[in-house]
Amino acid sequence: MKHLFLLLRLSLKRVRLLLIVTGFLLAFLQLLRVGIAADLHNAGQFDLLAALLPPIVRKLFGSAFGSILTFNGIVCGVYFDTGFIIALLALAITLATLPASEIESGFADLILARPVPRHSIITRTIALVLLALILMLLMILAGTWIGLVLFAPPDAPWPSPRQISTLSLSLALLVLSWSGVALALGAAYRRGIAAATTALLIFGAMLLDWAHRIWPPIDWFARLSPFYYFDPYELIGAGSLRLSNLFVLAAIAFAGFTLAYFIYSRRDIAR
Amino acid sequence: MPPDEPAFAPPEESPEPNPSEPARTPSAGSDPAVAAISIRGLTKTYGSLTALRELTLDVCPGEIFGFLGLNGAGKTTAIRLLLDLLRPTSGSACIFGSDCRAQGLNARARIGYLPGELGLYLDLTGLETLDFLAGLNRQAVHLPYRRALCDRLELPERDLRRRLRQYSAGMKRKLGLIQALQSQPPLLILDEPTDGLDPLMQEAFYSLLADVKRSGATVFMSSHILSEVERVCDRLALLRKGELVLLSAVRESRRLAPRRVRVLFTHDVALPPTLPGHQFVEFTPRLWHLAVTGPLGPLLAVLQGLPVHDLELEEARLEDVVLKYYRD
Repeated sequence: MKHLFLLLRLSLKRVRLLLIVTGFLLAFLQLLRVGIAADLHNAGQFDLLAALLPPIVRKLFGSAFGSILTFNGIVCGVYFDTGFIIALLALAITLATLPASEIESGFADLILARPVPRHSIITRTIALVLLALILMLLMILAGTWIGLVLFAPPDAPWPSPRQISTLSLSLALLVLSWSGVALALGAAYRRGIAAATTALLIFGAMLLDWAHRIWPPIDWFARLSPFYYFDPYELIGAGSLRLSNLFVLAAIAFAGFTLAYFIYSRRDIAR
Repeated sequence: MPPDEPAFAPPEESPEPNPSEPARTPSAGSDPAVAAISIRGLTKTYGSLTALRELTLDVCPGEIFGFLGLNGAGKTTAIRLLLDLLRPTSGSACIFGSDCRAQGLNARARIGYLPGELGLYLDLTGLETLDFLAGLNRQAVHLPYRRALCDRLELPERDLRRRLRQYSAGMKRKLGLIQALQSQPPLLILDEPTDGLDPLMQEAFYSLLADVKRSGATVFMSSHILSEVERVCDRLALLRKGELVLLSAVRESRRLAPRRVRVLFTHDVALPPTLPGHQFVEFTPRLWHLAVTGPLGPLLAVLQGLPVHDLELEEARLEDVVLKYYRD
């Protein structure tokens, strides 16, 4: 356990600047988002905004479209905003491919030439991703709370704690599932290859998910995309959390992590 | 020896232990009956390329073993297999009786390793790097010993507090040596240890090695600097294209090389009759330059009665043996 703690502490020390900058950026953007939502609410422009949006956007959001174009919907939109999701996924890929980077730099030689089991490297990486994810979600939450305190119109309802927690959980599991993919690829290939492959897979899966929302006949094919199981729009509306979706995302993450343990334990540590 | 017990503990009463007076007793490092390194039929292939073929050798506790070979001969591959960084295609290796794969943690707990190419995080300071790596060892690091090492390799505290991006290649190498030595392991595996060190630091390193050997530790070092191996190693193994072609004591291997003899005459002399074990490298009426394998008696017998002005005898060089194997 001591070496796990030392590995995690060193990794946190090395990525602390990245975490701090990303965290504050996300919190600031969320603060801005709440401010914009308050302006739109005060000006009563949600209907105008809805009228301006093309029909394809209505199709993308489905029945939740009406709920999203509200103060509450815009504030909670941080949890399914493509920009925010991409930022979190980019951070997760960076951290999850750390084992590959350590092999390429030769630092893994110094670690693993000592009595340190190989699985510690993967466990440390999972812990690092989890800690980073929790920190980012807390920063977004902080941005939301400060924004609501500063800008929320008196007549606009605040997102409920349950809504925030379920949206956070869904987003966390989505990011973890892709972290599993990145970690498994990073355990086998060079960092650049693992990161680029994961990014391409994310892009493809995202397109597939959008496509099935617009064109339902490919629904069966869209099930291959982890985004299919990430359905926050329901949570903005009257829908409830689908546990089956969360299980699928958790299973993808678990499979990725398990595969990473397996691959890393068997591979040659060579640049 | 319990794994958490330092194998090379400086004297308790000495606040500033001197690495030149090591306190490790030979029995503290290892059981003399068990080979420090035992390799049996170790093979590593990458597709159709065989990086290491059927390597079998033993390294005795307390010896300095030189592992020679040209670039790409398989030295680093063998070292990485010992550390379980690479997985063998076949064969096995043990460190003090612990299998490198099945009991890898126990095996690696007894090793201090210096990689050929040191991968360091440049945003860390030297001290942070040493502390982090010390924490991963089972043996506690004796700070006075580490300080003495730093003094000896001329890496002062001030430099240790600087970030590694400000280090020169030589300073990084020194740091690499310190991290390998700081926990006083019973076995040191050093991959090209003097690569990047200036001549003064090379001298400091050789003297350090001699002290480590006196303390009872074993050193397994790869090198392609023949003079270095000749100077510090007890035995050597020579790899060529992944195969072991020579395994010998350094002193013995020198005997495999012919000695160079130059004979200068005051007057012109005729070509001598053929002598067994003697080969003429150069011949003029007043100079013979011979390569002699074996005793010099027959040559001296021939020289009796000839107008010998001077006779120069050059000691056999390890280089001659090794280069012969390389060329073959």
